[in-house]
Amino acid sequence: MKPIIQTRLIHWKKQWPSLIFWLVLPLIATLFIINMTSIVQEDSKIPIGIVMEENTPMANNLLKSIKASPLIRVYDLSESEAKQLIESHELDSAFVIESGYQQQIKDGNRNRLITGYQSDLSFAYTPVSEMIISYVQQDTGKAKAAHTIMNVAENIDPDTRYSFDEIINKIQEVQSQENLIRTNFSFSNMVENDHKEELTVWNIWGLWAIFSILSTLLLSDWIIKEKYSGILPRFAFIRFSFKSYLIQNVFLYSSILFIFDSLAALGFHYFLNEPVSLKLVGAIIAFRITCSAGAFLLALLFKHIYLFYNVSFTLVLWITITSGAIFPIERLTDRFPWLTYLNPLHPFLNQEFWGLWMIIFIVIIGIWFAKGEKLNA
Amino acid sequence: MLNVQSITKSYGKKQILDGISFSIQEGEIVGLVGENGAGKSTLLQILATLAKPTKGKIFLNDQAYDEHKKNIRKQIGFVPQDIAIWEEFTVEENMAFFEKLSWVNKSKQQLKQLCIDMSLDKWKEPVHTLSGGMKRKLNLAISLIHDPKIILLDEPTVGIDLKSKKEIANHLKTLATEQNKIIIYISHDMDEIISLCNRILCIGDDPFYQNILESSGKHIVTF
Repeated sequence: MKPIIQTRLIHWKKQWPSLIFWLVLPLIATLFIINMTSIVQEDSKIPIGIVMEENTPMANNLLKSIKASPLIRVYDLSESEAKQLIESHELDSAFVIESGYQQQIKDGNRNRLITGYQSDLSFAYTPVSEMIISYVQQDTGKAKAAHTIMNVAENIDPDTRYSFDEIINKIQEVQSQENLIRTNFSFSNMVENDHKEELTVWNIWGLWAIFSILSTLLLSDWIIKEKYSGILPRFAFIRFSFKSYLIQNVFLYSSILFIFDSLAALGFHYFLNEPVSLKLVGAIIAFRITCSAGAFLLALLFKHIYLFYNVSFTLVLWITITSGAIFPIERLTDRFPWLTYLNPLHPFLNQEFWGLWMIIFIVIIGIWFAKGEKLNA
Repeated sequence: MLNVQSITKSYGKKQILDGISFSIQEGEIVGLVGENGAGKSTLLQILATLAKPTKGKIFLNDQAYDEHKKNIRKQIGFVPQDIAIWEEFTVEENMAFFEKLSWVNKSKQQLKQLCIDMSLDKWKEPVHTLSGGMKRKLNLAISLIHDPKIILLDEPTVGIDLKSKKEIANHLKTLATEQNKIIIYISHDMDEIISLCNRILCIGDDPFYQNILESSGKHIVTF
């Protein structure tokens, strides 16, 4: 292996900028796209102003709930600032949590708790106000429940006293610990599916896998360049057969790519809080073997490098569309489950080691290697 | 000694070589001539173990080709007609590349000396900037890295200047006389063949080559 490393280093000395580019592309491109998407999402949030006229736990909780909404960006303002920004159309709308909010909720009064402002260009006033109303209704619902509990407790056991705040705190505690409302929509004859958690993982690793396939394919162009470089006759008179030279170089490339795959896993863990597990490492190793073996076999089929590049880009596009790594294909795979096994990314995205394509590629490479060489007269 | 016994080579029904036998002593330079398609390159391919004879046996110092192919190959220096070098590498990198993959370890100084012996002094130059003659010299130098006993050259000087031709020929003579190498040389340049070779094997029945060679006074064998 040492001579292979030494000779490959001579090649890499000439090609290091492109080598580094393709090695880091999957990590950098994935981080870039994920971050750009976040920035775009952040920019596309609806700007609204909130004016707090009182500083009570209930008013603060309402503000916290509004801020937690992923689709709006909240600015804490005074009423005059809010009006000014709405006039200049820098805010879509503004809402004033009126003084005495908490007390009015406690008293069961539902009128004039929030005042809303909008301009002639406000496009999200109605949905945002509906959302805020729903939060206020939660508060009024809790208050009503607290009064009912207090009345019931007084009737059943007059000695036991629950304060309004105690009951509200308990309701909030239960609300935060338990998923009180969980709704899944599905057809009556279908098994219930919940991919919510997986989808987040799929997007990052799916995106990375697509870029990784592309970089592996384009890094494999050396196979075509060297196969048709004219040096082939020399391999009969050196220590390595050409096939052995190719296989050992593919192993070397795969090892280097695996190091960068591992760096990607660390990068995603550090920047995107993606969990790293032994199962993931196993899936990455299997993915690397599949990817490198597939790229190697594909490159062996080509004589002209630009045709190989064209086919590589087309193949990556096809995998992007059909693998479900980026676009969901559950409807299709639910109907045709066998498509799952043909999907080259399926084992990796499900963090499995064995995959159909890996086995097929390894068997084909084994047969190709065992067949010997034309040079071996 | 290289001993070739009744070599026959056919591709389908077409017979290329028919019962060729000869032997070559160490230190000898033998030229292979003949018209295009006569079978010179096929014979050289067989001698280089790159093709199998349909019939016949070849021995190198009593080792049969078909029984000791791997060992035989270690003793062969094959110089292909097409230049087989890395164009984007320097001379030094080309020599280092093939040394790393060869059967023997050579120092950088030894590799450099191989090039100097052939008047190839552009050690640090990228190959694509070299003249055709320089590339041919490097093509030959790479084939000599593992210190082979037999050197097989398929038109090694085609398309290069006279000075480079002379320098390559002088070096081959030195290899034969001082290092006892067996050299088999294909060329269409009759002057080159006559001046360089001790013996000439003429393949095919075209009298053109035989007439030229007979006047040279060289020992000629025809097949």
